[in-house]
Amino acid sequence: MSTDGNLSGKRFIVPIGPQHPALKEPGHFSFTVDGEIVTDASVRLGYAHRGIEKATESRNWTQSLYLLERICGICSHVHALAYCLGVEKLAGVEVPPRAQAIRVLVAELERIHSHFLWLGVAAHEAGFDTLFMYTWRDRETVMDILEALTGNRVNYSANVLGGVKFDVTPEIGDTIRRGLEFLEGRTHHYLEVVTTDQVFLQRTRGVGVMSLEQAETLGVVGPTARASGMIRDIRVEAPYAAYADYPVQPVLAEAGDLEARFIVRIKELFESYRIIRQILDTLPVGELQTRMPRRVKAGETVSRVEAPRGELFYFIKSNGTDNPERVKVRTPTLCNMASVLVTAVGHQLADMPMILAGIDPCFSCNDRTVIVADADGAAYTWEQIRHHGIAFYQGK
Amino acid sequence: MDVLRTLFTLMIFPGGLFILFNGMVYEWADRKLVARLQNRVGPRWFQPLADMLKLLAKEEVVPASVDARLFIGLPVIALAGVLTAALYLPIAGLPPAYGFPGDLIVTVYMLSLLTLCTGIAGANTNNRFSLVGATRTLTQLFSYEAPFMLAMLGPAVAAGSWQIGEVMAYAAGHPVILTQPVGFVIALIGLMGKLEMRPFDAPEAETEIVAGAMTEYSGRGLALFYLGRYVELIAGLTLVAAFYLGGIQNPLDYFVKTLALLLVLVGLQTLMTRLRIDQTVGLWWRYGTLLVLLQWFVTLLLRS
Amino acid sequence: MKIGSMLVDTLRSFFQKPVTQLYPFERQKTPERLRGKLHWDSSNCSGCCLCVKDCPSAAIEIITIDKQAKKFAMRYHADRCTYCGQCVKNCRFACISMSSEDWELAAQTTAPFTVYYGEEADLEHLLERVPEPAAG
Repeated sequence: MSTDGNLSGKRFIVPIGPQHPALKEPGHFSFTVDGEIVTDASVRLGYAHRGIEKATESRNWTQSLYLLERICGICSHVHALAYCLGVEKLAGVEVPPRAQAIRVLVAELERIHSHFLWLGVAAHEAGFDTLFMYTWRDRETVMDILEALTGNRVNYSANVLGGVKFDVTPEIGDTIRRGLEFLEGRTHHYLEVVTTDQVFLQRTRGVGVMSLEQAETLGVVGPTARASGMIRDIRVEAPYAAYADYPVQPVLAEAGDLEARFIVRIKELFESYRIIRQILDTLPVGELQTRMPRRVKAGETVSRVEAPRGELFYFIKSNGTDNPERVKVRTPTLCNMASVLVTAVGHQLADMPMILAGIDPCFSCNDRTVIVADADGAAYTWEQIRHHGIAFYQGK
Repeated sequence: MDVLRTLFTLMIFPGGLFILFNGMVYEWADRKLVARLQNRVGPRWFQPLADMLKLLAKEEVVPASVDARLFIGLPVIALAGVLTAALYLPIAGLPPAYGFPGDLIVTVYMLSLLTLCTGIAGANTNNRFSLVGATRTLTQLFSYEAPFMLAMLGPAVAAGSWQIGEVMAYAAGHPVILTQPVGFVIALIGLMGKLEMRPFDAPEAETEIVAGAMTEYSGRGLALFYLGRYVELIAGLTLVAAFYLGGIQNPLDYFVKTLALLLVLVGLQTLMTRLRIDQTVGLWWRYGTLLVLLQWFVTLLLRS
Repeated sequence: MKIGSMLVDTLRSFFQKPVTQLYPFERQKTPERLRGKLHWDSSNCSGCCLCVKDCPSAAIEIITIDKQAKKFAMRYHADRCTYCGQCVKNCRFACISMSSEDWELAAQTTAPFTVYYGEEADLEHLLERVPEPAAG
């Protein structure tokens, strides 16, 4: 921590991060405070940039799938799904309906686990550890379901290019139904807790309000946007995979405060339960996978899916070889990050972790490269920076 | 012989070692019960002891920008303060080791010394989390201190004495918890504020300001502050039990009553969300102080 | 409008056993589909190397011993493996499987992470001939 005269000057800056107990991943926020009131906020990202987009260029289409699945540890399936849908569109491959339905099934199970995780984290940021412990206990149910269904608790690797890896057997269907029944009861309880507990409401009601106009200007996505009354849901606006057959009712709230975000996310769980049950009841019969060519036709495409945190955007370009020419990922956290800085101003320092958690941030997913420019403004090319790096470490 | 006996009282029982171990056991009980209420396993019985031994064995890092004498001295003063307070209390169900008319006031002030030291320790460093934490600690001190003090003095007024031993004797004969229910609630919740338990843990809210005023502390200093808090837990519980739950006559009485109070504190901790510092202050001055003053008024009326 | 809305949960937990499992003293039964350590059956392998091509982490090496006689051996690097299961999917002769039992793979040295599969005689021959590649 620096002590560079800010203490004696007028500006008192409280740094949150890159290493801070409120952040589970590295990001840096500076909050200028006047007493307890935040008067200015800024963010710096890029501490966990992993160069995954670049790395896909030296891997073949299948290898890239598993690399991209590891962009996020929480919403791994949607990353793989967005990529698969894009590549399949480029290759002109028709995926069997059963496979599409299973993809949606896993995506919704993943949404359940992600929202439960968020509920716990947000409760912890507010200092309500009991809710945190209970939500995470119940989250184990859906984690166990996912493990039984896919063979892994995270990074399910359910997708392959052209379909899915495994089938949903009637026994696993029963396991899922039993788990959902338990979770549905608990979800009703949590909805009651976050909307009626007076002490908890003191920390969420009217805090971090983002109006509909602000939400539109800032371009927020996902539950954060829906809590401000903006219908932003790719599952509704541009149904992908099997969402056309299993339509989603978007969950909206008007208030735009933290309480509304709690309500939206919890009510979305009910929608997920409904969709999963519908899929289990009417799973189309057929193949799980179609043949996929090793080389994908040259061209470019955009693929969008609704991750638990909002719109996930993939741009994929092929030059007709084994490897992708360019994969560009934009994760929902990047779209929502600006809203934190705007809503933070005027609130107390104590509300900052809550406001930050309100967008359900995922730092390493959204981290991207920084352009290194010298004084003239000329930027290094990839090749130059590589040589620079090699020379730098040889000099050591 | 007298010197030896005094030393024994100060260093081993009931002051000194006994109360430190007693504090660690209660701290463990607190953590274990919170864990059980949250459906977790919780720490094993020796966890607080192991923490303390580890911290005491570690190097104490003194940051460059602090006044080193204050930095090292404050934890010692804090612990000494609460240990002194414990001497006037019926620890383990035995009569207080020392007593004089007016020792109640001294005890309550000695108990505040820990919080005061924590606040100064935070303000002593250049760390921003510490500074914010120190501000919050002291703000909170000023909000709960007056109601807590008044709540402690309530039974004393009824008993017509400022000596802990005599108030206890009065409490043994009168159902103070029924005649002064508001005072009891305020005293208990004030104790939570003193111990910075949830919902009053804004001064050390880890998701906002890491460890608050104690962010820069490590090793011995941190251990002494923790020990101070453990002793304060014991002292506070004893005081409330002695004044409101019909006095403390024997060791069994002591353990049953203090553990019952601890259980209530644990329940409140698990059910509450952390309050912002402005909410804490508002709560104490808007409701706490007024209610306890009303209680006083009623007590005085009834007495005359 | 109430305080302590989780009272019922906490009271119920107080009289219940904690939900925490004390691994490794208690072990949950692993699901059938769990993707654990990779196992390889050499008898059917045609040496097509599709598993090697699509492995995202270069965890598999197929070593040709005798191409005519279709004799191959596998060097599997468990520490590089991401347990994605693509090799299982790729293999047309079902030579590769992932164990749902064999998943506790932690070790204190790197040696157990290099696993050789194949017939005994081939492996002995192989270990003399093909040197261990450098790590990474």
